[in-house]
Amino acid sequence: MIDTYTRLLEAVIKRGDPKIADEAVNKLVAHLKSAGRMNMLPQIARELRKIVARRDSLRPKVEVADKKDSVAALAAAAQNGIHAANAAINPTLIRGWRAREGDRLFDASAKRALVEIYRKSVS
Amino acid sequence: MQSIIERIEKEIAAWAPQPKGAEEVGVVRAVGDGVAEIDGLSGAVMSEMVLFDPAFDRPLEEAIGASSALYGLILNLEEDGVQAVILGDVSKVYEGMLVRRLPSDSSTHAPLGRLLSIPVGENFIGRVVNPIGEAVDEKGPVSPNAFRNVERKAYGVIDRAPVSVPLHTGIKAVDTMIPIGRGQRELIIGDRGTGKTSVAIDTILSQKREPEATRPLCIYVAIGQKESKTARIVAELSERGAMDYTTVVTAPASSPAVMQFLAPFAGATIGEYFMEQGKDALVVYDDLSKQAAAYRQISLLLRRPPGREAYPGDIFYLHSRLLERSAKLSEARGGGSLTALPIIETQEGDVSAYIPTNVISITDGQIYLETSLFNKGQRPAINVGVSVSRVGSAAQTKAMKKVSGKIKLDLAQFYELEAFTQFSSDLDAETKKRIDSGRRMIGILNQDRGKPLPFEMEAVIIFAASNGYLDGFAPADMRATEELLQKFLSREADDVLMAIRGSKEISEETERMLRERLEAFIERTVPSI
Repeated sequence: MIDTYTRLLEAVIKRGDPKIADEAVNKLVAHLKSAGRMNMLPQIARELRKIVARRDSLRPKVEVADKKDSVAALAAAAQNGIHAANAAINPTLIRGWRAREGDRLFDASAKRALVEIYRKSVS
Repeated sequence: MQSIIERIEKEIAAWAPQPKGAEEVGVVRAVGDGVAEIDGLSGAVMSEMVLFDPAFDRPLEEAIGASSALYGLILNLEEDGVQAVILGDVSKVYEGMLVRRLPSDSSTHAPLGRLLSIPVGENFIGRVVNPIGEAVDEKGPVSPNAFRNVERKAYGVIDRAPVSVPLHTGIKAVDTMIPIGRGQRELIIGDRGTGKTSVAIDTILSQKREPEATRPLCIYVAIGQKESKTARIVAELSERGAMDYTTVVTAPASSPAVMQFLAPFAGATIGEYFMEQGKDALVVYDDLSKQAAAYRQISLLLRRPPGREAYPGDIFYLHSRLLERSAKLSEARGGGSLTALPIIETQEGDVSAYIPTNVISITDGQIYLETSLFNKGQRPAINVGVSVSRVGSAAQTKAMKKVSGKIKLDLAQFYELEAFTQFSSDLDAETKKRIDSGRRMIGILNQDRGKPLPFEMEAVIIFAASNGYLDGFAPADMRATEELLQKFLSREADDVLMAIRGSKEISEETERMLRERLEAFIERTVPSI
């Protein structure tokens, strides 16, 4: 049931109307109260938090090794269909950039190139 | 010099890595009980291998220091992600870890996706490997000839030929009454401790006597076994020189359920490679009950609906698709064969349980071992009434067919009479004679484990027993009598044995010579017993 309620709320939220979403939450709370199942509410909240975290992890994300490469990296990512507002600095990339959205990844970092060279040399 | 250095440094500074194109990735959402829930990987397919990449979110030094690649096997496709079982150290997978699809070919990055495949080849002979083809015998890595998908469709009707070549087990009771042909699937079934593994191991040992050119290459798959038992089997096979033509695939009881589920498929894949080279192969699955339990565990963790005895709905398909891969290929396909000896453990002799009935219906016959016979001292403890071979008789040699003619019927009548004698002590001479004759035959079919016989010796011993040459010996002395007979035949009837081995039949001339030698044996031996 928790899964069903969570999915229902998710579907309502996806419609993008905060008024309808509020109404749905109110109705759900009222229903759980009348059914004596209020202990389900924290679990539903936890599942919703997971969904939010999952969505965040799949959002467009561009990383660069050096701040000065940000503009070029964002442009290169956009060329490949990944549109991010800004680029995060990740010095572990050593040089270059990488961009990810959903299950698509473009990796133009020196770290990736070096790891590949290492793996090829030891295999 | 300085200018050259500066130029090189400039080149290094200008180096910018280029992306190799879009990669398809996922992120581990949750992990537990050996199963990872992964977001993304929308293009992934069932049975695809994915790579858990610890290098993605770690600095270079740690990424390089991370141990060998860790793979997963996709077993569930869902609306917003996939579920994959982890093929290795589960503790190395963490929430948020990046998961990559693999290129379908090592030379190209497109299209993506590689089904679970394992290395195969001649170098696997004599080795002990795990279900993903990694050596576990401390002899170093095995260099493969090829990679083959673990899951593949079995050969169809057109590619097959009828089973026509015998596979000698060296066990008298099996070769005479339940003959096995190359390409057949013969189930070995019985309670624990009834000698199921011994029958399979004796069959492997017996192949040592086959000519090298036609000797079946053997694969012993240990599923959910104690490592000490597997080690003992490997030691025995090595000691007896059987590892020269045997590969052992092991997924011990301590290995993850997915390894135990994959082990028989890995064994079949290695065997199929040999079959496709036009060779004969024999694969022993020891045992499929444990594989079924491992698959049940995986299915429950993947939240698939449980059915009878909590097994998933496709448990029959699990075993049928595995055992259908055993075949005798047509000449056009090279004429190779893959014989399967699956083993099933029953509880309290209940052959009508779910998994036993499934596998009985899939296979081409069964060798049923019974606890009560084992406790009576019968070795192997085969219940010949329930045991059957559906296709093997077509592959039986003429010699064996000739000598084993009515043994099964005679034994069935003997068991009936023997049951009757429990109620009556006053027996007529004819009944007593038939009971003694049956007891003699049972005594002759008794055979210690680890002592498979050449088929010509089996044929001659059974000939002697079924033609009344041993009637002068007491039924209780059959073991000693057989030993004497074997020694006598090896010494005095080598030409007869060679003739049977060469022609695979007992011609009139050979039979005449054999009868002469058997009469000589009786003359010399009867007074001494």
